[in-house]
Amino acid sequence: MAIDVAVLVSVGRHPVSGRARRADADARAVELALSIAGANVRLIHAGDPGEPALRDYLGMGANTMTVLRMAPEADPVLPLSAHLSSMRPQIVLMGTRAEGGEDSGLVPYLVAQALEVPLVPGIVSLSLAGERAEMLQGLPRGRRRSLAASLPLVATVPVMAPAPRMSAFGLARRGTIEVKDVTAAADEARAAWTEGPARRRPKRIKVMKAASAADRVRAVTEMAAGKGKVLQNLPPDEAAKAIFDYLVAEGIVQAKP
Amino acid sequence: MSEERIRRDPRAERETRRARAVEAEEALAPAASESPSGRIRRDPRAERAARTGRAAEPVAAQPSAVPESESGRVRRDPRAERASRTGRATPVAPQPATPVPSGRVRRDPRVDRTAQRQATAARAEAAAPVKTVADPKFLILAVPDLEDARLSSHDKDVIGAARGLADAGGGAVVVLAFTGPEGVKDGLGEAGADRMLRFADASFAGYAPERRAAAVLAAIQALNPQHVLFPDTGVVGGDVGRRVAVALGDRAASNVQRVAPDRITRRGRGGRADFALAPPRVLLVAAEAADPVIDERYEARELPAPRTEAVPRVKDRGLAATDPATVPMAEADFIVSAGNGVHDWDAFHRVAAALGASEGGSRPVCDAGHLPRHRQVGASGTLVEPRCYVALGIAGAPQHLQGISKVERVVAINADAHCDMVKRADLAVVGDVQALMPALERIAKERRHGN
Amino acid sequence: MIPLQWLIGICVVVGAVCALWRARRWFRGQPAKVDFVRGLMRYPRSYFVDLHHIVARDPYTARMHMMVAGGFTAALLLTLAVHLFNIDSRVLAWLLLVFLALMGVGAAFVAMRRSPKRARLSAGGFSRLPWSLFAFAAAFFLATLPKAGLVASFAALSVPGIVVLLLAAWGCAEMVAFLPLGPMKHSFAGAMHLICHPRFARLGAARPDSGLKPLDLSAPKLGVETPADFKWNQLLGFDACVQCGRCEVVCPAFAAELPLNPKKLIQDLARAVDPGGNDLAYAGSSYPGRSVGHAHGGPSQPIIGDGAMIHPDTLWSCTTCRACVQECPMMIEHVDAIIDLRRFQALEKGAVPGKAPLVLAELRATDTQSGAALASRLDWAADLSLPLISTKGECDVLLWLGEGAFDLRNQRTLRALVRLMRHAKIDFAVLGEEELDTGDLARRLGDEATFQDLAKRNAATLAKYRFRRIVTADPHVFHSLRNEYPAFGARHEVLHHTMLLDELMTNGALPKTKAQPTKTTYHDPCYLGRYNGEIRAPRAILDAIGVERVEMERSGMRSMCCGGGGGAPVTDIAGKKRIPDVRMEQARETGAAVVAVACPNCAVMLEGVVGPRPEIFDVAELLLQAVEAA
Ligand SMILES: Cc1cc2nc3c(=O)[nH]c(=O)nc-3n(C[C@H](O)[C@H](O)[C@H](O)COP(=O)(O)OP(=O)(O)OC[C@H]3O[C@@H](n4cnc5c(N)ncnc54)[C@H](O)[C@@H]3O)c2cc1C
Ligand code: SF4
Ligand code: SF4
Repeated sequence: MAIDVAVLVSVGRHPVSGRARRADADARAVELALSIAGANVRLIHAGDPGEPALRDYLGMGANTMTVLRMAPEADPVLPLSAHLSSMRPQIVLMGTRAEGGEDSGLVPYLVAQALEVPLVPGIVSLSLAGERAEMLQGLPRGRRRSLAASLPLVATVPVMAPAPRMSAFGLARRGTIEVKDVTAAADEARAAWTEGPARRRPKRIKVMKAASAADRVRAVTEMAAGKGKVLQNLPPDEAAKAIFDYLVAEGIVQAKP
Repeated sequence: MSEERIRRDPRAERETRRARAVEAEEALAPAASESPSGRIRRDPRAERAARTGRAAEPVAAQPSAVPESESGRVRRDPRAERASRTGRATPVAPQPATPVPSGRVRRDPRVDRTAQRQATAARAEAAAPVKTVADPKFLILAVPDLEDARLSSHDKDVIGAARGLADAGGGAVVVLAFTGPEGVKDGLGEAGADRMLRFADASFAGYAPERRAAAVLAAIQALNPQHVLFPDTGVVGGDVGRRVAVALGDRAASNVQRVAPDRITRRGRGGRADFALAPPRVLLVAAEAADPVIDERYEARELPAPRTEAVPRVKDRGLAATDPATVPMAEADFIVSAGNGVHDWDAFHRVAAALGASEGGSRPVCDAGHLPRHRQVGASGTLVEPRCYVALGIAGAPQHLQGISKVERVVAINADAHCDMVKRADLAVVGDVQALMPALERIAKERRHGN
Repeated sequence: MIPLQWLIGICVVVGAVCALWRARRWFRGQPAKVDFVRGLMRYPRSYFVDLHHIVARDPYTARMHMMVAGGFTAALLLTLAVHLFNIDSRVLAWLLLVFLALMGVGAAFVAMRRSPKRARLSAGGFSRLPWSLFAFAAAFFLATLPKAGLVASFAALSVPGIVVLLLAAWGCAEMVAFLPLGPMKHSFAGAMHLICHPRFARLGAARPDSGLKPLDLSAPKLGVETPADFKWNQLLGFDACVQCGRCEVVCPAFAAELPLNPKKLIQDLARAVDPGGNDLAYAGSSYPGRSVGHAHGGPSQPIIGDGAMIHPDTLWSCTTCRACVQECPMMIEHVDAIIDLRRFQALEKGAVPGKAPLVLAELRATDTQSGAALASRLDWAADLSLPLISTKGECDVLLWLGEGAFDLRNQRTLRALVRLMRHAKIDFAVLGEEELDTGDLARRLGDEATFQDLAKRNAATLAKYRFRRIVTADPHVFHSLRNEYPAFGARHEVLHHTMLLDELMTNGALPKTKAQPTKTTYHDPCYLGRYNGEIRAPRAILDAIGVERVEMERSGMRSMCCGGGGGAPVTDIAGKKRIPDVRMEQARETGAAVVAVACPNCAVMLEGVVGPRPEIFDVAELLLQAVEAA
């Protein structure tokens, strides 16, 4: 039984060059969709159909993409939800968050709300067992949670999901883009925002507790010098103790009291 | 290969040093200057009270709630003042203070007693005086993740951010805690909670975002907080927070980098841009967006939790068993890694197991088949990001260092004091790794497992 | 001797039919522009000069081949004259005897060469070949004796007559009738290949013709998927393979036991053309770590795949070092075939292994392999304040920095080069942010789209400025700018830094230095030596600074790859050993304390070898040390 899997994809930006490309998490969502046995994968984008970066997704092997044509910064939720409600896919996948605009990570929740289907965030694998989807959710530190939900559902795919396949130039070139004009409301709230380049936050200083000003300065300058502590000529037991104490102090391992 | 290659040139280094010094100043800034918002002032009266052993209760008339206190400690908000001088209104008018009518909240004597017991215990432990906000003008709700029933540093940052918002206008912080049946191991008062709501039922444990969102929504309904803060974590706070926002019809701000009552900063465009905006009701706060509360203690008075109901549509079938040895390298939290200097492989496996660390290795040891290929760290292996990386007998070739360029804590053990790995390390032991491995295993077994 | 006449006649006809039959399979390929007349006219030179030049590198085989091939060709023509057309001439008969004798001696050499058995030589039909040669020579020797008047003629049904007939049947079957199908196929296909060579410009060229040809990116199918996607003369080339195993012996991937053997690769390509093609009849060494007998293919079946004719690991093990091309006596173009196959994998399937997809994605998104910001290419040189051509407008030398500028190790080389150029008062400038990756790596990985995009944009940048020549310390950059950019309109004089430094030493712009007695061996980068023929300049510099120069067993045009080419470090196909380890072992054998390199990839690969080993320095670093010591 072929099931329809819709993948919502957005235009990403390379973190260094800022050049448009497929968004990392969305590409992983496409990869995950392509890995579902018997899935009929449909790509959907709301925005400018002329954006060349969209072809990166076609290059992964899906032959067509539907683009809901709208102004790039308009609110995509309504058109996407409307399109999905008429299409009725069993599974809607997308990256946990985009990387080219607001990147709010709210779209999947809004779409799930509009479609009135459950939402499963952060999945790294999905397989079908009848009308149910069995999923693994990625948790920090390599842990995985096993989840199940009945179809239809919306799920998001994080950057810890399996890496996306390479986009092939020939496939990208041949893929077709179907354009559908939609009306999307301008994002008015957004107009009141001011945008500037990201400001690098100063690194958190380690000695936070009971820190005097002098301690903080010392911590920062030590960090800046990149100088670690070097222990020489210690008997193995003492060296091992020094290492273990360091691991405990940094909260890497817990010692029994 | 997106890793930065290691570059070293004097000018760049000089610049980094300069940049770091600026960072140091910035880091100092909040401590040194009396920032009007988001910072706790010390209350000498309370401190005195604590010293003289008087109960904290009389201090309840917190000056923060009494702006026109005669002691002249009137809180000033220069920005607000500036705004009023220039005639501009603050973008978000402070919500009308919603005092929690204590009368409306039915007290559960049992809960009160536990709370008292906890408070007493806490008081006995910490010398810091308990700060109380008796009559807050508004509430800020913070919902920490409390993974493994512990406050993560991210959780503490979020409560710290809530604290900042509350203190800026005489509000109070309510921490909503899904504690699980066993309770929370850390003190919520020490983290900055004036009040707390506990949801201890086992049905909130594990992955229960729908239930949790319903609980938060019920709390919002009962308390009408001005803002609700969550840590913007993948599948806990970030998930529940978005569900809450969507249910409220609120355009939550995610990936929030800085929090102030009238303006917040959030990051977008793939991390390359910051947007400044008036804070919406729901804030999904990034780690380190605010400083945690340090050396202070708040009341953490328990409020009765509202009853909630939700039918979960996603079934949690439990954590898949994870063994540090099988954790994908890229996600490993703690790695002990072997290089050509390791000859005793049994000792290596034992020490990694004793420390509870994932195993990694340099290319030659994987080439030689001592470790499987997928354990290779480096440019042509895996780029790892554990919280700590212990390098045993690894020289630190550029291709290897590329693989650990994002690691914050590196421990090196090497016979050669001049090798690049020792230079890279935060803690380095110069010596024979064969001798050290059993010693480290012994001490790890003694002190981690008590045998 | 009517029966013998009949026998020869039939064999000639069968031979012609077989030749056509065999040629049919080449025409399963794509059309190619071929100038037959030019090819035919040049054939004697192509054969006796160009091809002989390669064969002569192995004197034993050269002598053997001259006797067998020369003897047989002449003998065959004379046999036709004497025995088929019955021209009664003692002179011809005597001549025939001489050539048959020569052929017989040659056949003995062929037999001796195969005993004891050698791994690089194929068994199967080839084991039979010396005896077939011998049979042919013996049969006609006996049959010609009466014609030369040395013995009385004998009847066809006499004992000697029957012996002659049987031997002649065997000899003619192998050497005439079924020549186009058996081991002798190489002579027929080889001759055709020389006439219709896909890189005709290679014949008689002063410099290796090594640049890849641009791919038409608007073609319906990009690259080669099935045998039928190759050009017909490429298929002809595969058929010309004589299974001599010379390519196998020099292949670095084979030496390190990666799953690649260029000889089997060519054989598999040749066999894949047949419907139901397989490698069951292949009797040479296999791809290391894989056994023979699992290959399946056909003219319109995909060549690459698990269970297809060639496993993807084989395709991606190649470092594009061209050692096989350099050695192949049949002048087969292995690297072109490999790149054609890679193009399909990369462009149509997106199936590139290892970290290569990440590198290619970074190239597309940032124009650098490492995903660095273009502006940071000059970070290492902040203290050198390199002049930008955008501010100068023109200069004598445009210094192309390459990806090495992002790597700590190679920044030392670049620093040395800059200081030497300053010392010699060269008017130079760099492109700075305007320099994009040349796309060399993308091209070797088959990603022609990314390469062409980068090449076009770089060509446009170069067209904006005035400079006399481009200098680079990276042979890969050197090769693409010099040999592959002209197709994109960028025609400039390009020098490798060793060529410039050698010039500066010769013309006195750099001072004479004191002799440095360090024992040093020089490792030729493939893209400088084999790809561009430049093996002199770096050695001249080393000699000028007076190091004690020793050569490795393989050096110059026949040097061995460090393993750093063709994207091999990023595809990282596993083998039993690592190519740089094999190469370093050869360096250790010389007892040298220093390995001089002239390529950033070589430096990185050889420095990655663990354990005690010679130090690695770029020629520029050694020269700077010497100049500063003077
Ligand atoms: C293209 C390319 C890609 C590469 N990718 C990778 C990669 O992804 N990952 C990787 O690791 N390497 C990679 N390398 C290889 C890299 O260059 C180094 O060769 C390798 O990292 C060295 O490994 P090592 O430090 O374990 O071994 P060595 O260089 O042999 O170092 C062994 C270290 O152990 C110390 N030692 C020896 N005995 C003892 C003892 N008894 N007690 C304590 N210390 C001792 C020595 O002082 C030395 O520092 C790559 C190389 C290339 C060319
Ligand atoms: S180019 Fe080099 S690595 Fe590739 S097959 Fe030929 S000899 Fe082997
Ligand atoms: S490809 Fe060339 S070198 Fe290799 S075996 Fe065939 S004829 Fe010999």
